Amino acid sequence: MMLARVADSLYWMGRYVERAEHLCRLSDVMLTATLDRTEAATQVARIAMSSVGDLDETRAAEPYEAAVGLVLDRDDPASVFTSLARARENARQVRDQITTETWERLNVLFLRMTSPDAAEAFADGSSAFLHDTIADLHMFKGAADATMAHGEGWRFLLIGVYLERAQLIARLLEVCFGDPKRRAVTDHFALTSLLRMACALEPYLRVYTADLQPRYILEFLLFDDDFPRSLRFCTAQMESHLAGVSRHFEEAGQMSPERLAGRLKARLQYADMDELASMGAHALLTTVAGECAKIHDAIYNTFVAYPLEMRLPA
Amino acid sequence: MAREATAETGTRPLPAPGIYDEMLAEDGSIRPHYARLQSRIDTLTHEDLAERQRTLERFFLLQGITFTVYGAESTTERIIPTDLLPRIIPASEWATIEAGLTQRLRAMNMFLADIYSEQQILMDGVAPRELVLGAPSYRREMQNLYVPNKAYVNVCGSDLIRQPDGEFVVLEDNLRVPSGVSYMLANREAAKRTFPGTFRAMGVRPVDRYPDMLLATLKSMTADWRPNPQVVVMTPGVYNSAYFEHAYLARLMGAPLVEGRDLVVHDNHVYMRTTTGLRRVDVIYRRVDDDFIDPLTFRRDSGLGVAGLFNAYRAGNVVICNAPGTGVADDKAVYAYVPHIIRYYLGEDPILHNVETYLCREPSQLSHVLANLDKLVVKAVGESGGYGMLIGPHSTKKQRDEFTAKLKANPDNYIAQPTINLSTAPCIIGTELEPRHVDLRPFVLSGEKIVVTPGALTRVALTKGSLVVNSSQGGGSKDTWVLSDDKRGAKP
Repeated sequence: MMLARVADSLYWMGRYVERAEHLCRLSDVMLTATLDRTEAATQVARIAMSSVGDLDETRAAEPYEAAVGLVLDRDDPASVFTSLARARENARQVRDQITTETWERLNVLFLRMTSPDAAEAFADGSSAFLHDTIADLHMFKGAADATMAHGEGWRFLLIGVYLERAQLIARLLEVCFGDPKRRAVTDHFALTSLLRMACALEPYLRVYTADLQPRYILEFLLFDDDFPRSLRFCTAQMESHLAGVSRHFEEAGQMSPERLAGRLKARLQYADMDELASMGAHALLTTVAGECAKIHDAIYNTFVAYPLEMRLPA
Repeated sequence: MAREATAETGTRPLPAPGIYDEMLAEDGSIRPHYARLQSRIDTLTHEDLAERQRTLERFFLLQGITFTVYGAESTTERIIPTDLLPRIIPASEWATIEAGLTQRLRAMNMFLADIYSEQQILMDGVAPRELVLGAPSYRREMQNLYVPNKAYVNVCGSDLIRQPDGEFVVLEDNLRVPSGVSYMLANREAAKRTFPGTFRAMGVRPVDRYPDMLLATLKSMTADWRPNPQVVVMTPGVYNSAYFEHAYLARLMGAPLVEGRDLVVHDNHVYMRTTTGLRRVDVIYRRVDDDFIDPLTFRRDSGLGVAGLFNAYRAGNVVICNAPGTGVADDKAVYAYVPHIIRYYLGEDPILHNVETYLCREPSQLSHVLANLDKLVVKAVGESGGYGMLIGPHSTKKQRDEFTAKLKANPDNYIAQPTINLSTAPCIIGTELEPRHVDLRPFVLSGEKIVVTPGALTRVALTKGSLVVNSSQGGGSKDTWVLSDDKRGAKP
C-alpha cells in the first residue's frame, strides 16, 4: 500500500533517470564517432538525432552543437538537464519514501547539472562529463537497489525504468531497421556505434563474436533472454514487477497493466527471426511501441487515476 | 581572570556593555559551561574552523536540507545558514525553562478549551471579550468541538530571548504550525560530526527521540478503539518553503506525507488514495494553515486543502493537529494577557515572564508608544516572520512617521515592546569568531502529557548588530546543547 501520487512519482523518476542515461550515451557515441569526418560518422549522427525525434537532420550536421543542446539545454523538455531536473523534482515529492542514500546520488547529479560550471566542464571534456554522469546514474540505481526495500515503491521505480528503456531501444531499432523504404544500416562502423548506443557492444561480442550483422543485432536487442536492454528482457521485468504490485483491480472492459505486459512478453517470447523476416522489423517494433503506450495508460488507470466510486467502502 | 592572548585566539574583547553574552562573562572570562568547548576551539586554527564550516555546508546541500527562495528571475534552493559552534545551556537554567514552558502550555490549552466552550475567563473579565473573540485567528467553527485530552496545541515552538540580566523571557508563542524542528535535528547531526569528543565528554542531552515522541503524541490524540491509528503528515506541497521539514518528519516517523489532493472525505471519514484503493486516516499532523485546510469551511479559494475535512473532524472521525483556531492564543495582543491567563487557570505565578508589552488599543498606552517610537519595537498583531515591524532605534524618521500614521489609523492592530538587546553567542564569520545576537526556540509536545524536548533551535541574526533572527530575513541557526550535569561541561 502506498499513496497513488507517490507511486506515480516513483514511476516517473524511473522513466526520467533512464531517459537521461540513454541521452548521455547517445551524445557520447555521436561525439566520439564524429571526430572523423566520414560518411559513416554522419550516418551515426543521423541515427542518434532521429532516434530522439529530430527528423529533419539539420541538427545532425552540427553534432557538437546538437550534443550540447541534448545534454544542457534547460528549455528543451527532452534534454538530459530537464530529465534529471524532473527526476529530482519527483524524488523531492517522495523524499519520505526513498532512502537518503538514493536521494543523495540523484541530488549530486542535479547539482552537477545546475552548477554554473557545467557548460565549461562539458566544453573542456564532453566525454569525461558524460562518462561521470552515466557512472553517477549507475550509482543511483545501485543505491536504490542496495538500500531501498524491494517493495511496492521500488517496483514502481523499476517499472518506469524498464518501460522507458523498452521504448528507447525500440525507437533506436526502428530508426536503423524499421523503415522498409530506407536502406537499412549495414556499415560496420555505424553498427558498432549502434551497439554502443544501446550499451550492448561487449555483451554482443561475447555472444556473436565480432561478426556484425544487422540480423544478429536485431535478434540480440529484441530477443536475448539475459541482456538487460533487450526488449524481451525489459518486458519480462515489467511483467514481473507489475505482478508484484497488482492487486487485481480489473475494471470492466479494461485489461490490467500486468496482463498487457504479459501479452507483450508472450509475443516477444514466441517470435523468432523467421517470423521477423516475413513480417518485417517495422511491424514488430510498432507493436512494441503501441503496447508500451497501452501499459503506461493502464498503470495510470489502475493505480493512480482510478475512479473513486469503485473504491469507496461499502 | 584575564586570559593570555595566543597567536590564534588573539585578545578576546569584552562583551559589549548592556548585552548578555552566552560564552563570556562581563569581565571577559569564559562562563564555566563553555570552558570545555573553548579549550577545544583553542586547539583549532581559524582556517580549521572555516574548513569545518565548509564541510558542514556541503553536507547540508547534499542532503537537500534547503529552503526555497522565490525570485523574479529564477527559483533557487538555499541552505539555511548554519553556524558550527553550538550554543550551550546549563542544566540549572534549562530546568527553569522546562518548568516554565510546561506551565505556559498547560495554561494555554486550558485557555483554548475555555474560550471554545464556556468562555468563563471572558465572563470573569480577566481577558477582554472583544480582544479575544475579535482576533482574526479566532475560529467560531471550533466552538463546543470535542478535542481529545483538551490538547489543542500538540506542537508548540515558543520563542525565548535572554535579557541583559541573563533571565530568559518569552517573546512570542507559536501555537499554529511552528517550524524549525528539522533544523534542530540536522544541526545536531552536524555538531556531532564536528565536535564528537567534546560532545561526548560534556553530557549533552539527546534530541533524536523527537520524531517518536511526536508520533506518540499524535497517536495519543485518537480514540482508544482505533488500535493502530493511521497518522499522516499533511504538507502544502513541494513548493512550500518548509517542505524539507515536512518530508523529514514524515520519513523519521514512518508516516505517509500527503497533500490535500491525496485525501478524500466520504461520509465524514477521511481516506487517502493509495495504489490499492482508499485507506482510512485517523490523525492528520497538518503543516497547512487553518485558512487552507478545508475550502468548504475556511477559504474557498484554497487548493491545498480537502473539502469536507472539517466536518469529518467535527464528527470525531479524524483528529487535526494542531487544532484549528489555536492562533487566538498566540495573537500578539492576547500575549499581553498570558501572565493573567496562567494565574487564572493554575493559580500559580508565571515561571517564565513576558516582555513588557504596550497595547496600542489602550489610549493611554498608545500615547506612550507614540512619544517613544524611537526606543520601542512596534509589531502588527496579525503578522509573523519579522514582517510589519518597526525597530525604533534602527529606524529612520520617515519610517517612524509612517508608523505614527498607521498607529493612529488602526491602533488595535499594533503592540509595542521595549527594544531588547538579545543575548549574543560566538559565531564563525569568515575565519573569525564574532558575537551575534541569538534567540531560542524550544519545542514542546502535548497530547496525553506535556513533553519538553531537551534541546532547541537557536536562531542567529547573522548581520552584525542585527536583532532580526527570522530565516526569511537573513537569519541562520546553530545547534543548542542542553547539559545533563553542569559539572561535566565545566571541566576542560
